[in-house]
Amino acid sequence: MPLLHVTDMSHNFGGLQAVSGYNLSLDPGQITGLIGPNGAGKTTIFNLITGIYRPTQGSVEFDGEELVGKKPNETASMGLARTFQEMKLWRHMTVLEHIKMARYSKLSYGLWGAFLDTPKRRLEERQTTDLAMEYLKMFAVDQFADQLVVNLPYGAQRRVEMARAMVIEPKVLLLDEPTVGMTPDEMMAMIEVVRKAHERFNLAIFLIEHRLRVVHELCQHVQALVFGQVLVEGTPTEVQNHPKVIEAYIGQQEVEF
Amino acid sequence: MDETLAPKQTGGIFYRVGLFFKPVPLLGYLIGFLVCVLWEQLAGEGLSSLLGLPKMPILFGLLTIFKVLAGIVNFLIKGDAFHWARLVEIPMALVYLTVIYLVPLALVARAAVKPANAMARYLQKFPLIITALVQLGLMYAVLHVWAEVSDYRLIFLKLTLIAVLFTLSLNIINGYMGEFSCSHPGFMAIGAYMSSLFTVGLFASDKVLGDAVFNFSAAYLTFPLALIFGGLMASLCALIIAIPSFKTRGDYLAIISLAFLFIVKSFFENMQALGGSRGISGQPDWATLPVIFITMAFGIWTINNFVTSTMGKALNAVRDDESAAEAMTVDTRKTKMAAFLFGAFWAGVSGGLLAHVLRYVNPAMFSVQKLAEVLAMVYFGGLNSVYGSIVGAVSISLLGEALRPLEIFKWIVIPLLLILVMIYRPTGLIAFKEFNARQVFGPKEVD
Amino acid sequence: MTVNFLMQNLINALQWGSFYALIALGYSMVYSILMLFNFAHGDIFMVGAYIGLGVSLGLLSLFGSGAAAVLPGWVVLVLTILISMFLTAFVGIIVERVGYRPLREAPRASAAITGLMIGIILETANILFLGGSRLKFPQLIESVTYNIGGVYVTNKKIMIVLVSIGLMLALHQLITRTKWGMAMRAMAYDYVVVPLVGVPMNTIAAMTFAIGSALAAAAGILFGLAYPVLDPYMGVSFGWKAFVAAILGGRGSIMGACIAGFMLGFIEIMTVPAIQIMNRLFSLNIGSNFRDLIAYSIVLLILIFRPHGLFGQAYSAKLRL
Repeated sequence: MPLLHVTDMSHNFGGLQAVSGYNLSLDPGQITGLIGPNGAGKTTIFNLITGIYRPTQGSVEFDGEELVGKKPNETASMGLARTFQEMKLWRHMTVLEHIKMARYSKLSYGLWGAFLDTPKRRLEERQTTDLAMEYLKMFAVDQFADQLVVNLPYGAQRRVEMARAMVIEPKVLLLDEPTVGMTPDEMMAMIEVVRKAHERFNLAIFLIEHRLRVVHELCQHVQALVFGQVLVEGTPTEVQNHPKVIEAYIGQQEVEF
Repeated sequence: MDETLAPKQTGGIFYRVGLFFKPVPLLGYLIGFLVCVLWEQLAGEGLSSLLGLPKMPILFGLLTIFKVLAGIVNFLIKGDAFHWARLVEIPMALVYLTVIYLVPLALVARAAVKPANAMARYLQKFPLIITALVQLGLMYAVLHVWAEVSDYRLIFLKLTLIAVLFTLSLNIINGYMGEFSCSHPGFMAIGAYMSSLFTVGLFASDKVLGDAVFNFSAAYLTFPLALIFGGLMASLCALIIAIPSFKTRGDYLAIISLAFLFIVKSFFENMQALGGSRGISGQPDWATLPVIFITMAFGIWTINNFVTSTMGKALNAVRDDESAAEAMTVDTRKTKMAAFLFGAFWAGVSGGLLAHVLRYVNPAMFSVQKLAEVLAMVYFGGLNSVYGSIVGAVSISLLGEALRPLEIFKWIVIPLLLILVMIYRPTGLIAFKEFNARQVFGPKEVD
Repeated sequence: MTVNFLMQNLINALQWGSFYALIALGYSMVYSILMLFNFAHGDIFMVGAYIGLGVSLGLLSLFGSGAAAVLPGWVVLVLTILISMFLTAFVGIIVERVGYRPLREAPRASAAITGLMIGIILETANILFLGGSRLKFPQLIESVTYNIGGVYVTNKKIMIVLVSIGLMLALHQLITRTKWGMAMRAMAYDYVVVPLVGVPMNTIAAMTFAIGSALAAAAGILFGLAYPVLDPYMGVSFGWKAFVAAILGGRGSIMGACIAGFMLGFIEIMTVPAIQIMNRLFSLNIGSNFRDLIAYSIVLLILIFRPHGLFGQAYSAKLRL
């Protein structure tokens, strides 16, 4: 029984078939990559799985439970964390607050605790802070804890985002182009971060990536998506050398300038 | 939003003054102010007659100064007679301000640095609540003595404290949550009417609401119930806006809440059972200064608790990026609803207080003008900040009173000031600053 | 309670709605381009009416009035409308320059606050200069009442409705046929990228304010003809309602603003006969002063079921804080 099981998922935006007949099965501890040209529908698949959009057809099962119809915050608290391509950090919040925020669903002091500063709330807030600091250390951003996140260097911002997703204690992590816009050095560091997180928590990771280098380093299994349909599936090398994939990326005709 | 790094100044009078007062804790200022107000009670009358002022300055001499200025303005525009000898009142009022307030405050606060810090450090050994209560008690004493001088001061102080609570309750929605709510005067109206219904209906005889149902001497003890009732009714009505508004994103709330404000006002205008456009009057005189002070302090405490908790920080996350908040397990709808109803609750409570300070309530009080006023307070002081709301409400109230002699010009000066603030600091004077009670009430350590 | 009675109210509603529609256009146009509400617009309407008053009095003293008139009344009226529209456009441009342009990068709510404050300043300035008393708008054309099958229609009502519809059509032409209109539509579509291809953002924004203000001035003069008493706070009560109409039409939708303006007028006017009919049918006793309450409850209901208004698209704009 796979951890995340997507069967025959389709979605259309008012006539535009964004995703059709998509299947995925992700086992615990497995890293699967999703590649494809821009506009192929990769991020849409993430949004469908996490509940931002509702698939017009098909089912998404996570740990034996149906996800279709659940809201993003519900799927996240079940253990399906994600990052965003454009990061989506909160510009007026400090790094520590970012990490603590992702523990929202684990807090049980409720609204009265929030209004009245009960002992329970103090205890939980303290525990959350300790845990958050632990995660910040793990991702080597603890020295920025009290800084506004917009003041951090780019690589550190990416790591904060990773830490924010990890503190949910997910079983499956969806990474949307984690190395976009990075220098080669930053990229290598990011690969290390992902690998470490994977080993430490035995995470299942589902990864969208453009850089084949990253895919080669991390993934055991890759899907190539073109126009909302999976064209080829297999090991990174198989997929990369598949003629159809090459055609989809580069095109058949020579480009004339 | 350049709250990151203010350029370090290495000179300048303000910097030096700031350095001079840096080690003074809140306790020190409170002691200083206490000395000032006691000193004013002792010497205020004498000094003002010595300085040739017509009567004792009520608002730190500001009112006196602006009265003279208003005289000049009237002379220039309408050609009213103006005694040029009155010009001397301006420096005299400043002298009064210096002698009664500035010098004693500076001296005492600075001189009391050591004992005040020692005291604050000693208090810090106890739970925070003890420190806070001691210092709030001292603050109340200052305000009480200050307000004892005249009824005018008392009512001004009461209205200002209510404005602080009201402003802060709107800041939850417009600042922390980043939506734009126009319905706050409506919530205030609901709170004012409902608490009046409670007190006047049950404990007072009135033309509109009939004879008193109960008649016992300790009836004022039920006042908190009346306020809570008013607040809860305001929250309940806020639900009408909250349910449709928070299904969708964007500035939908601004519009729904504006329509709601019109509806509430029109409703109270037309409810003959609630006095129609004349409203209800004859509220019992239960909103005394201590009651208002305690309510305000409690309100600020709960609001600050809320916005500093992770549950409340979720509001900021929703404001800065809603989809990221959702992906990080935040129940955005619940968060927004809770914050909105919470804000409405305190708006209702402040409405209840207002009705019992003025001892009348009518629909005309809660118009678009009231909305403009409270928005001015929120945005002048600063979004997303408890300090900001306190500063905004106090300074706009003070300014409004001080400029009262200028009559209609007041409504040119205040808007202009606010436009300037918006242009140079679009989020207000003290925005995005967290109110840390431990730091505020604690000692100031300076090495 | 006849058909005539309803027809009579319908005509009144058309007239009342044309004021709302003309003002709502200004709100909608500014929203479509800058994504913010010009809260000073109601007061620009007030200023427009007063400018109209000044211009018409000036024209009357120049060309004479009554029997000694050099020009017929309708010429004076047309001149008044055109000159006032022109002058009020400058008021709009100044408001944009002072209150909105410095805040282009600021949170949108801050710009809303400056708008509100400019509105207060305009009201205060009016009271300061004109003393706050209500002023009477001169009657530029003779009132003639026609009886069409028992329904009484004045020539003014017909003229008001026709002029406003004419102005709306002119605006439509401007927006669809000219280069500037195209730039406006492009800006409404994307105000970040369009300036990059050489469309001058500031000019377009100023032009939008100018056109909106000119329309508000026309509304002000027409209002003065129909209800010849002006007071400094007319912009507050009337402007905010027109704002609601703009929302009802869908933020940023020009056609929506027109239709919703007429619709709001219709709702407001027709509530009274509706209450009367209800009272008679069910022998209730609802006062006709419940008009606002009922009208805005209807608006609220419409907005609950159509959150983006009648013709609006689903924006997901957040306050840029």
